[in-house]
Amino acid sequence: MSKNQTVEQRYLPEIQRKEIDELKTTVKGASQKIIADNIARMKKADSHRPDTMKYFDDIANLFGRRQQEIEAEKQKGKKIIGYLCLFAPTELISAADAIPVRVNSGWYDTSKLGDRVVPVEVCPVIRSTIGAKMIELSPFLEQSDALISVLTCDGMTKLSEILSDQKTIWGMNVPRVKDSTQSLRFWSAEIKHMKTQIETFTGNKITRNSLKEAITTSHRATKAFRRLQELRKGNPVIMGQDAMLVNQAYSWDDKKRWTEKTEALCNELEKRVQQKDWVCSPDTPRVMLTGTPMFWPDSWKLPALVEEGNPKGIIVADEQCSGERILNDPIGVDEWSMDDMLNAISERYLMASTCPCFTSKDGNEDRINWLLNKVKEWNIQGVIYYVLRGCMLYAMEYNRVKKALDKINVPVYYLDTEYTREDVGQLKTRVEAFMELLNARIDF
Amino acid sequence: MSTAKEFWRWHEYRHTMPNIAPVSDDIITAGVDVGSVGSKAAVMVNGQAYSWGITRTGSNSPESAKKALDLALKDTALSTRDLRYIVGTGYGRVNVPMANKAITEIACHARGANYIWGSSVRTVLDVGGQDIKAIKIDATGRVVSFLMNDKCAAGTGRGMEVFADLLQVPIEEIGAMSLKVEAEPEPVSCTCVAFAKTEAIGLLRKGWSKEKVLAAYTRAMAVRMANLINRVGLEPALVITGGQSKNVGIVSRIETLLGVKCLPTPNWRDGGLDPMVAGAFGAALLAKALYEKTQQI
Repeated sequence: MSKNQTVEQRYLPEIQRKEIDELKTTVKGASQKIIADNIARMKKADSHRPDTMKYFDDIANLFGRRQQEIEAEKQKGKKIIGYLCLFAPTELISAADAIPVRVNSGWYDTSKLGDRVVPVEVCPVIRSTIGAKMIELSPFLEQSDALISVLTCDGMTKLSEILSDQKTIWGMNVPRVKDSTQSLRFWSAEIKHMKTQIETFTGNKITRNSLKEAITTSHRATKAFRRLQELRKGNPVIMGQDAMLVNQAYSWDDKKRWTEKTEALCNELEKRVQQKDWVCSPDTPRVMLTGTPMFWPDSWKLPALVEEGNPKGIIVADEQCSGERILNDPIGVDEWSMDDMLNAISERYLMASTCPCFTSKDGNEDRINWLLNKVKEWNIQGVIYYVLRGCMLYAMEYNRVKKALDKINVPVYYLDTEYTREDVGQLKTRVEAFMELLNARIDF
Repeated sequence: MSTAKEFWRWHEYRHTMPNIAPVSDDIITAGVDVGSVGSKAAVMVNGQAYSWGITRTGSNSPESAKKALDLALKDTALSTRDLRYIVGTGYGRVNVPMANKAITEIACHARGANYIWGSSVRTVLDVGGQDIKAIKIDATGRVVSFLMNDKCAAGTGRGMEVFADLLQVPIEEIGAMSLKVEAEPEPVSCTCVAFAKTEAIGLLRKGWSKEKVLAAYTRAMAVRMANLINRVGLEPALVITGGQSKNVGIVSRIETLLGVKCLPTPNWRDGGLDPMVAGAFGAALLAKALYEKTQQI
């Protein structure tokens, strides 16, 4: 037996090193171009974009500065712990002196590679993440020493099996009924188990002080995040696609630096509010996005169509686990004892989530309430319900959401798409017709 | 020299309304609807249909737009210089060089259907060459909500052209022919243009008549359209616009499936308002509204 022989893979196909390298070079080149094009377009959409956005543009380069920083930390012996779902308690990772980084794929090109492993009917986020692993495209996924996979939807559940061919995977079992004491008890046990797992893996003990510091860091980030969202309540001072990038960059950036930069961005935006310096006319239809997560870079296809269309809309809020849900809710700690902090983390990650993986049968109206509250507070005039084909949970909740929005007379448009650029022309017609509809309600 | 008969080719024509003599004070506007298969242009005088033209869309959208508008203006007292405002619509709306503004075909068909059939229209089914749209509208012709099929051409006008060619039946006779069956066959299982063609060849080999094959395909298309209408929520009166509004096989099957009658299609062969031009009519009307807005200061 040659010593180069690899362990047999249960899920992933065997691919020759040469093919991996070739594909990686091609897709990476294409992706770098898409990232650059996205940013160039975003700059064009807002002719005097806030200066602080330069920082986020830099962090948005997935193959750039942040990859190098993480690599340097890794060389020094730090563990990198990736996660695939927002339920992963990142504070525990930070408290063990490891780096948390989200690794869901936003690359359209790799979804076609994923088709070799799972059928095309499967959600493209899953297929694309598999494809990214196959050609070692994703810097953060490759750098991860272990992955936390929360078993929420079917896609996430099976994705963790497939990735286990090449990665250490820790599955977390999330209850499907939210409002019950036994669910919280069960989930708390999962959180405590995860703490032990992280401690063993990193060799670092999570102490009362280190956890307190990690939670405090999150609190500060949430505060900065909320300040930014407050600024989106009034006349538009920031393009939605810029704000969405800021929010999402948190999941791979350094937490403290992100907070500092977001505060700086808010300072800049506050000056613009005083100068009544808007990014678009205040009568531009105000749009909220909800549904399947949108991952940078390729999924900026839709925000671009909304904000650069004819007529255009302005995205002022979202209810997505790739956007505002990342930081909306602080961890509510009463006393800074280890037990209390762990309980607070358990509650925050379970109770604050509006993921459609929960049943609403037992009276859980959290997602609907979030949406209705946003509509009211952010003065939303229309909602785009975004669904990637194969994303069953969001698709199946549409009617319930539509009924709730119908009651308050807010139009909602169901927009289904794929990880492809081929449907841009058709999507443009659909999005623009929806913006015309919203405009006609304001004034024609 | 022999040329193969082009069964898919539909009637390209133009029409001028009699008894309208535009004068210089009139507000003359135009709508140009560049679809994936057909390009339509309509000229209106003070918001009344004056002339229109329908032609096939070529590979170049700007040229197709110009061709349609020239056709609409041909042999009239008007020229492009008389047009105060032009709205471009349809798939190629951004490539209508003479247009002052682009508006989606969804808003234009809504407005156009309101113009052709009046304020009672609440649901519009637009079956174009490449897509199907179900649109709910209010009494003023504004869009309330809409649905559109996904990106493939399944169950659309383009699919009908493929069938006309395959079965060697002139496209304008397809609808009537599909109704000449004793009993309605099961619909074909797939309306995808590529697969339906394969399935149809199989059925012909099995000994099915052309009529029966057409009935099975038309039925499948109608089911798809009826589903789209049901999803958007059917509210009478229902009308059908776009090229397929001329296909009696489609119209009568949708009526049967939904259990409602569509408002009758105007006799366009005799100078009636052509529902295939609905988008261009709507665009010309919106052009008038936009022109008037520029005048009030």
